[in-house]
Amino acid sequence: MTKTLTSCVSNAAGDLQGLRLWRGADGQLWGRSNAEPTPRAVRVCRLFPWSRPAEYVSLRDEDDEELALVSRPELLESASREALEVSLAEAGFVMEIASIVSVEEEIEIRTFSVETAQGPRIFQTERDEWPLELAGGGLLIRDVAGDLYAVRDPERLDPASRKLLWVFLD
Amino acid sequence: MLGAVEDADREIVERYTDQPSRLPAALRAGIEADFEGEPVQLYALADLDASLKLSPTTWVALGPERIAIARDSEDETPPVVRSFSRASIQAVRLEPGLSCNSLSFLAGPDEPALARLRFTHRQRRAMENLQFVVEQQLSGRTLEPDEPADDSYADAVAGPVRDAQALVARNDMAVIWRLLSYLAPYKGAVTFGMLSATALTLLSLVPPYLTGQIIDEIVKPVQEGTMPMDEGLRLAWWAVGVIALAYALRQVCAWARLRWMAVLGEHVARDLRTELYEHLQGLSLAFFSRKKTGSLITRVSADTDRLWEFLALGVVDVSLSIIQLLGLSAVLIHLDWQMGLVMTLPVPFLCWITFRQGQRMNRIFLRAWRKWSRLTDVLSDTIPGMRVVKAFHQEEREKRRFALRNFDATVEFNRLHAVWTTFWPLLMFAVRGMVVLVWVLAVPRVLGDSPAGVTLSSGTFVAFLLYMTMFIAPIDIIGQIARIMNRATSSAHRIFEVLDTQPQVIDSKEAIRLEPVEGRVTFEDVVFGYDGVRQVIRGISFEVKPGEVIGLVGPSGGGKTTVTNLIARFYDVTGGRIRIDGVDLRDLDTGHYREQLGMVLQDPYLFHGSVLENIRYGMPEASFAQVIEAATAANAHDFLCKLPNGYDTIVGERGHTLSGGERQRISIARAVLHDPRILILDEATSSVDTETEYKIQEALDRLVADRTVFAIAHRLSTLRRAGRIFVIDEGRMIEHGTHRELLAKPEGTYRRLSELQQELTQQHGSASDSSVRERMQ
Repeated sequence: MTKTLTSCVSNAAGDLQGLRLWRGADGQLWGRSNAEPTPRAVRVCRLFPWSRPAEYVSLRDEDDEELALVSRPELLESASREALEVSLAEAGFVMEIASIVSVEEEIEIRTFSVETAQGPRIFQTERDEWPLELAGGGLLIRDVAGDLYAVRDPERLDPASRKLLWVFLD
Repeated sequence: MLGAVEDADREIVERYTDQPSRLPAALRAGIEADFEGEPVQLYALADLDASLKLSPTTWVALGPERIAIARDSEDETPPVVRSFSRASIQAVRLEPGLSCNSLSFLAGPDEPALARLRFTHRQRRAMENLQFVVEQQLSGRTLEPDEPADDSYADAVAGPVRDAQALVARNDMAVIWRLLSYLAPYKGAVTFGMLSATALTLLSLVPPYLTGQIIDEIVKPVQEGTMPMDEGLRLAWWAVGVIALAYALRQVCAWARLRWMAVLGEHVARDLRTELYEHLQGLSLAFFSRKKTGSLITRVSADTDRLWEFLALGVVDVSLSIIQLLGLSAVLIHLDWQMGLVMTLPVPFLCWITFRQGQRMNRIFLRAWRKWSRLTDVLSDTIPGMRVVKAFHQEEREKRRFALRNFDATVEFNRLHAVWTTFWPLLMFAVRGMVVLVWVLAVPRVLGDSPAGVTLSSGTFVAFLLYMTMFIAPIDIIGQIARIMNRATSSAHRIFEVLDTQPQVIDSKEAIRLEPVEGRVTFEDVVFGYDGVRQVIRGISFEVKPGEVIGLVGPSGGGKTTVTNLIARFYDVTGGRIRIDGVDLRDLDTGHYREQLGMVLQDPYLFHGSVLENIRYGMPEASFAQVIEAATAANAHDFLCKLPNGYDTIVGERGHTLSGGERQRISIARAVLHDPRILILDEATSSVDTETEYKIQEALDRLVADRTVFAIAHRLSTLRRAGRIFVIDEGRMIEHGTHRELLAKPEGTYRRLSELQQELTQQHGSASDSSVRERMQ
């Protein structure tokens, strides 16, 4: 079984030689491959957004069929890689918490007031929805609307933020 | 009432988000000027700019003819409004991301997008509403949103917070007063309990006072020879007798207070539980789909229990502790103002540090609770999934995972113990320090060596010492007021949230009872959506005669189940009308109507209890013979006879002791006994093997006779008794007719599905039906 899986991924990587990606005038990512020479509008789907954010990107068309599985974007030729990176930036965007102003417990929800790299934000999580510990360290907080907030390195937060975050850290 | 809901949504947006609760007035004016006076129908906020910075200044607004992108300025300059014609839109594209979504309005192939908006998930529902209306327009349908733009926006943004916590945290005292109003029916008991508690407090003050009096007025005079021994003994015995009586009365009062308030609290908790459960029974299915089952169970059980604790103990303890501290302070200052101040002045500080300690403990407890949750996650993962654990031989790994988390949780709980076991000795040390200070002040005065010449009698000093011991308990309780109030208001909020939720399906005052229901079901251009904008059913019309069997087929998510939910009046239509025997369904007595409606669902739900009770669920008065008859008709009788306890077999929670096919046949027997005029079968045979399916199908054939039946099925072979078949897709009836008529349509969806199933059946046999379902989806 392991052998079969390995061959699937390496075949996909091999196909990258013929894969071409570009952005249309409307901002849409398009792609074609040796196996699928007709251009198709595609969206990017990171398969491991937290474990391997820069690798294993599935390109899927409007019918949700996979045009290609890009195991390593650097294997693409430069124009395609640039087009892919713009899409990846948007698809993989999460707010990065720079400091925590307050954390207040309420009935069934917890309200965070934070400064993010993208600007100030107030958001709520369910009280039982604990921040997720990321494999490489750091935390990922998901709010009630589904937005994600990353704390990449809790040790680099200011002391007041660390104190507020202490409850959620190991 | 509806206005209150929208106001609550706006309150949520204002309180819990950092964005406006409606389109700013200046922007709206600018947009409507651009629309040449046409109103804004829908709008949403694009809160991410092109560089993916949070920037809540860009809005997209939909008018009847145009769409505007408006940017609010941070200074006094007028807003920038850019618009384009809705007619110029050729496509609309929503691209979801982890936290950045984009909505593009496209003009045509290879042309720049008319607009591309980026936004977080918080705005997604509002954006999807816009997307939906534009997509409808592209499909040739003009959709007029049926609620004001401000309400749609507030509902969409507030929705996630409201679903997590339906009640915006209002004034806590208002909640406490509302809670206390539940004591009103028990005024007598409350008065008695409070009087007992007050008497208990006052009686506690008597023994120390009398002790001082005995020493000063009896012991000392006798020792000094100024009072005869007989007189001294007589007075002393009287005083001891009064002290004994005070202690006895105190205990009687303690008993009365505990007993009365405990019983009273239990009555109030019972009243709340009953009111809550009765209210839950009346709520619409939409409420239950929004709320987690565990959360509702907690409200009826743990939250009412917490309120018992508050009403039985908290209310009295808190109020009497305040009285006791004030009384003690007054008595001590009265006995000796200097020593009294030594004891009373630090009390507010002690209460404050106890309160602060509570806050610190809360943080540590929260951390310990998180670790505890991680520990219980392992249990809830592995115990139901034990077969998988064993099949993959992962027992050792799971043991290690549990041990690690168990260790983590223990560390946190030990941290908690370290903090409180340090705090209380320190607090006691501080109180003892005050006592020592009192001694330091008192000793010279008791011995007559005070520089100021102020003396203190031994009796007063002893009384003082005894009163000082009574300081600790009220300080502890007052320090915990915040915690006690928080717990009570949290629970009360959760309970009142449910009680304040209004059912969406309400009978009219002049509700009609159809006796009997004949079973004619008419849909007249029925439109339905779970929110105000997106329609799940889009103009379906049909008429079904009494006794007709209708098959509902189509892709998953197409609207089949919603059609049956509307027939059952679990929801009211948002447009058009459903008639039963010619009468608008909304004019019927819902309870009476549902008595004549039966359902057999894909996942049959059995209640904990015996098979007999489950079959009788809709008709508790059914005779044993009728139950057997129903079970026989449902092909359940034979397997029930094989069970050692027959019809008295307890089926366990949700019927887990029976197989899927057995549960289904019991649910069919329940429907047979109920004898409904209108029957809904929702994929009743989808999850069973071929032999069981045959038995169930045979039972269903008997069940459907002489009733109006709506049968949802993916396996088209199960619809052989259907007189007509409705193909439902994307909320519309795209085909209808008999099996033969639909197969005759060369490009028909039904024909395609039928051919696909036949092909797969030939290739793989009936076992491949699940694949068919997947492809249909």
